Amino acid sequence: MTATAPKQQENPLAEGLALRRTPDPCALVIFGASGDLNHKKLMPALYALAVRRLLPQRFAIVGVARTEGDDESFRQDMEAAVKQHARDEFRQDTWDELAPQLHYLSTDFADTSGEDKVHDLLEKLDEDEELGGNRVFYLAVPPPAFPTIVEALGKRRDDRGWTRLVVEKPFGHDLASAQQLTATLLEYFKEEEIFRIDHYLGKETVQNMLALRFANGIFEPIWNRQFVDHVQITVAESIGIEARAGYYEHAGAIRDIFQNHLLQLLALTAMEPPIDFTSDSVHNEKVKVLRALHTPGPKSVVRGQYGRGFVEGEEAVAYREEAGVAADSVTDTYVAAKLYVDNWRWADTPFYVRMGKRLARHETTIAIQFKAAPHPPFEEAASEGLRPNVLVVHVQPDEGVSLAIGAKVPGQGMTIRTVHMDFLYGGAFRTGMPEAYERLILDTMLGDSTLFTRADEVEEQWLLVDSIVAAWQRDKPAFPNYPAGSWGPPSADELLHRDGRSWRRH
Amino acid sequence: MATSLSELDWFGEDVCLADVDTALARLRAKASEEAASMRTSVMTHLAWVPPEWVEPARAALEGMAELHPSRTILMFPEPDAADNRIDARAAVERWEVPDTDRGLVTEVVELMLRGARAQAPASIVEPLLISDLPVFLRWRGEPPWGAPELEQLVAVTDRLIVDSTEWDDVPGAYRSLAELFSHCAASDIAWARTSRWRSHLATLWPALTEVRTVRVRGTAAQAWLLCGWLRSRLGHEQIALEHEPAETLEGVALDGEAVPLPPGDPPTPSDVLSDELDRFTPDPVYEAAVLATTAPSP
Repeated sequence: MTATAPKQQENPLAEGLALRRTPDPCALVIFGASGDLNHKKLMPALYALAVRRLLPQRFAIVGVARTEGDDESFRQDMEAAVKQHARDEFRQDTWDELAPQLHYLSTDFADTSGEDKVHDLLEKLDEDEELGGNRVFYLAVPPPAFPTIVEALGKRRDDRGWTRLVVEKPFGHDLASAQQLTATLLEYFKEEEIFRIDHYLGKETVQNMLALRFANGIFEPIWNRQFVDHVQITVAESIGIEARAGYYEHAGAIRDIFQNHLLQLLALTAMEPPIDFTSDSVHNEKVKVLRALHTPGPKSVVRGQYGRGFVEGEEAVAYREEAGVAADSVTDTYVAAKLYVDNWRWADTPFYVRMGKRLARHETTIAIQFKAAPHPPFEEAASEGLRPNVLVVHVQPDEGVSLAIGAKVPGQGMTIRTVHMDFLYGGAFRTGMPEAYERLILDTMLGDSTLFTRADEVEEQWLLVDSIVAAWQRDKPAFPNYPAGSWGPPSADELLHRDGRSWRRH
Repeated sequence: MATSLSELDWFGEDVCLADVDTALARLRAKASEEAASMRTSVMTHLAWVPPEWVEPARAALEGMAELHPSRTILMFPEPDAADNRIDARAAVERWEVPDTDRGLVTEVVELMLRGARAQAPASIVEPLLISDLPVFLRWRGEPPWGAPELEQLVAVTDRLIVDSTEWDDVPGAYRSLAELFSHCAASDIAWARTSRWRSHLATLWPALTEVRTVRVRGTAAQAWLLCGWLRSRLGHEQIALEHEPAETLEGVALDGEAVPLPPGDPPTPSDVLSDELDRFTPDPVYEAAVLATTAPSP
């Protein structure tokens, strides 16, 4: 007979209480604390968590950057960032509680004394604040800085508490560099300690895709090649590259959006139901989809680059005229592709995807277009304006779901028209939508990696991107090939016209 | 948060329910003419509002409609009126959905049930319930236990929401409330207002396992419910209650030792009601606490 440890008695008072998951005491160390990401996303998200009392009671935030400064100047800087970017109204009492937990270290990590300074400060905070040695290291720095920081952290880690490492995208530049980076991280950290952020996965509406598919009995039976004609995924941005020319020139749309956000949206759309909502179950199903993606041939991929045009009435310069961009740049600012998921559920069902900068509007949607009714008993003229049923998941903006259906126009005779049934997220659930980073930071502290990407997912994504980019090396594109403010190059329309289809009207 | 763009009103005397339905349809169409509007509902919300509760009931609805888009039906019983008829007011309110060019419409129906028409309220609201969505019944004041109007409305309701702070006979009335548990789920605003304190007290476990006396400064309902909760959760029916009356829940002491105030701000009345409208299933912890309030004192 096997002896079992006595079960720890559960707290009877906790039953029925909506006790929020509160993370253990910990220190959150943000490398790149003087950067945009911290100002615009991380600190406002931490403030939102503080407003909702979701942060640990014993907690410290350590900002690390090269910029000169001290605790006081960092607190002032972060207060201004919160006032400018937080979704909640600024509350002095909340800030007064949060601000003393903010610390700053001005250091260069290439310098060993910088590593020691961080280590010493964390030791001191452990002692003063009783943080138990628990650490979240957030790498909000350019990728070339990752290995140095990771090595320095890894060499100094000890057995006390838990450690989590958050890595911002891009995770590598291609498959080889991603594998190299993973190998570096795994030298010092376990896979379950690594949290690769794709902030799209923290969006409520992206998670709602899972609710829509797996909490409703009506969709899953028709969510397959028998009933779905094709799927369209659009990640459109109306903005240009802003001040990111240095990064974007080397990345392009394919590495900036396609490799991560877009393929993750596709995986969530096409995946099989996971057996539960644990991290491994969800990752396992997503990676199966990514492995089943058929490498598209050159005719199934369109790349583009914006020229001059008008966006929302304002004149926009061409990509090649943006500051920091080469005058003969061949970087893609637009990609469209026809992809196939080679499995039982989706065989022969095209997934048309497109993403780009300086498009007509800012919009992310997943549209499931169903096959037309097999034999409508109406005269042809009655239903000439009728379009197939389309279920559209609006990821942003206007978060929600709409279903296009045919309905009879009131009056004599039989005329059928397409109408929309809308579920608008903000219309049914009137509570404020949390920002993606709020959820993701909290999940990191709680050790839940369900909404992050696993190494094998990232590698499958790069494998596909590498094969597309390899084909691009062989030709010289005639850029620019679409005006800013349009929906992309004409060849993207032809991609669908060849199949007798067209992009959704917006 | 959303802003109310417009409110469209209709009033009729001595009406039938088809008149109310028609008026609502016209008002919705009119709202859509003004701007793109969606009718979004997550429930039908009934409220039985005796005359003395009219103003508090309307006040609690402020801010609630936009959080829970619904059809709200307020019933104002006037059983002593000289005539037997229904007067009705219907209103469609259009709310702006932030960051969109669309709005959503919510509906409020007020029914003045005069004379004999107050006797069978379920038959009146039944035609106005939104199909396939849950029905919440908010009962202001102490329900008339055993009265036909209560039993009828409970029969068409998924969840009864009361506020036992509004009752005079506490804890005696909890025995009557417990008899309804097998008919529909129940929520108590007084219980919801103890939530911060319960969460806080739960963090003191296991230190309070052997507590024998709880002193509560708050309403009688809150005091009894907290005591019932500790009795039922800790399995000690003999925990004694010392109640110090106050308008709100201000303090708790265990065996004479004051518990520090819980963190955060107390929720507003709208927030409390709103939270209760998010729950759909029975709350066994509340039910056990209610039953434990009626245990004989040591």
